[in-house]
Amino acid sequence: MAEALLEVIGLNKSFGALLATNDLSLTVRQGEVHALIGPNGAGKTTLVNQLSGDLAADSGRIIFRGQDVTRLPAHRRARLGIARSFQITHIFENLTVAENLGLALLAGHGGNFHFFRHWRRAPRLEEQLTEALTRFDLLQHRDQPAASLSHGEKRQLEVGMALVVDPQLLILDEPMAGLGSGGTVELTRIIRRLKGQLTILLVEHDMDVVFSLADRITVLVYGHDIATGTPAEIRGNALVRQAYLGEEG
Amino acid sequence: MTRKQLFLLLAAIFLTLLPAAAHLSGNPYLLSLASRILIYGLAAASLDLLLGYGAMISLGHAAYVGIGAYAVGILHLHLGAGDLPPALALLADSTASGLAILPLAVLAASLAALVIGALCLRTTGMHFIMITLAFAQMLYYFFISLEAYGGDDGLSLMSRSGLPLVNLDNDTHFYYFCLFCLVLFLYLASRLVHSRFGLILRGAGDNERRARGLGVNTGRYRLALFTIAGGSAGLAGALLANHSEFVSPGLLNWTLSGELMVMVLLGGIGTLFGPVVGAAVYLLLEEGLNMYTEHWMAYMGPLLVLAVLFARNGLFPLLISERRRHG
Repeated sequence: MAEALLEVIGLNKSFGALLATNDLSLTVRQGEVHALIGPNGAGKTTLVNQLSGDLAADSGRIIFRGQDVTRLPAHRRARLGIARSFQITHIFENLTVAENLGLALLAGHGGNFHFFRHWRRAPRLEEQLTEALTRFDLLQHRDQPAASLSHGEKRQLEVGMALVVDPQLLILDEPMAGLGSGGTVELTRIIRRLKGQLTILLVEHDMDVVFSLADRITVLVYGHDIATGTPAEIRGNALVRQAYLGEEG
Repeated sequence: MTRKQLFLLLAAIFLTLLPAAAHLSGNPYLLSLASRILIYGLAAASLDLLLGYGAMISLGHAAYVGIGAYAVGILHLHLGAGDLPPALALLADSTASGLAILPLAVLAASLAALVIGALCLRTTGMHFIMITLAFAQMLYYFFISLEAYGGDDGLSLMSRSGLPLVNLDNDTHFYYFCLFCLVLFLYLASRLVHSRFGLILRGAGDNERRARGLGVNTGRYRLALFTIAGGSAGLAGALLANHSEFVSPGLLNWTLSGELMVMVLLGGIGTLFGPVVGAAVYLLLEEGLNMYTEHWMAYMGPLLVLAVLFARNGLFPLLISERRRHG
């Protein structure tokens, strides 16, 4: 059995009286695509924000590659290899496509207190940038402002920015949201290609996507993990059917 | 050649020939006004680094202008009285005192910006605006109460700072020295915004969460920029003190911070050159209207409203017929 890359132990987070994360435990294994599903308001995005460091947990522990990261700020976790995309596309709208990817590459390197030389002249950056632009099919848009891209291209850029630094764990928060069927197919293809290269935690509403991509699925209800298993196990789980799948279908 | 390059070339020629034109036309006082425009342009452009590139709305930029000016005023006072501490003895050579005084003024303003910035940058948005304003006002009242250095009345300089090769007491020399400082700042600043540091900052200004998610410790970059902008404003303050040979607490008042912000918006935020254009238009309007009425503010207001309505992105993008580049 593969090693655990990310372990969440007894995590709690409340907003006033609302328990958004309720004694949640979860293990994401190295190299797997682990999907997180649950009805609206189950606390999926709250969990993702705690994993990335955008939100502080009230109690519980988050272990990444054997290191307790529960209290680390977001930028330190990013350096350790946790990359995320957001539910609403988060890119640098006012920068060009090349600047977006360039920034992602440079941020991963650290040590950017260089004030004079043009950022493109950073050592080895030009080839990495061209490679990234090609890999994510954005070469023809390189000098366009990111704001002018289509919705699907923005998603591609966002996923690209998360991936150029070769993260250990990629957290995708509803990557298919707002994409047409064409875009969904395209992004599913990209994620499938990534399978095996890195570990992915996928939060997604689209059940076809989840069941076709995931190695393992965790079901959240009211901030608690009610079941974890392979797609077949989850499909057969009576509790899950009752809580979630039944309502949907 | 792009429109922008053409504009900058014409501006450079015009500014270089201006002293000759002023003398030939018998209006040497124009030179003093022109120097003031260059100095305010420098201060406004340094504020633009914060507003246009760092997304830091500072309403306390006058503080650093004032500290730069007071550093010059205070050092000159002790220079005149001959009671400088031994460590600053090299200031005593009045032909080269500026070599120490100007860098010390920049250093003092940078340090103030570093400390104040470290505190202010714990906040964002509206709170950041208010806290930068609060610190500037605190310093304003501090200098008002500083009786040893003139208090409310301010402080007069016996002469301008001495520099080798140029004689700042000569208005033409002084003008060229201001022009040199402004051009140097604009060159370095335009390199900066396209450097690795600048790219990270523009990104952090655009989308803070995304930048942090990529591993950027945004606070450190912001603080560095805040310090750089403060130091540059300090240089403007040092020049301003030399220009009027007088410093007063009014330089630290929030009205100057507001004026600088108007210059940035008028000229074009996030363009670096725009704020210089904004400073020129603002000061020329002020000077021009002042000749006709002492209630010039009543006319200035509507004119600024019109400018903002019809040149939403500022005058500079309009002049070089370019759409919004960055904001």
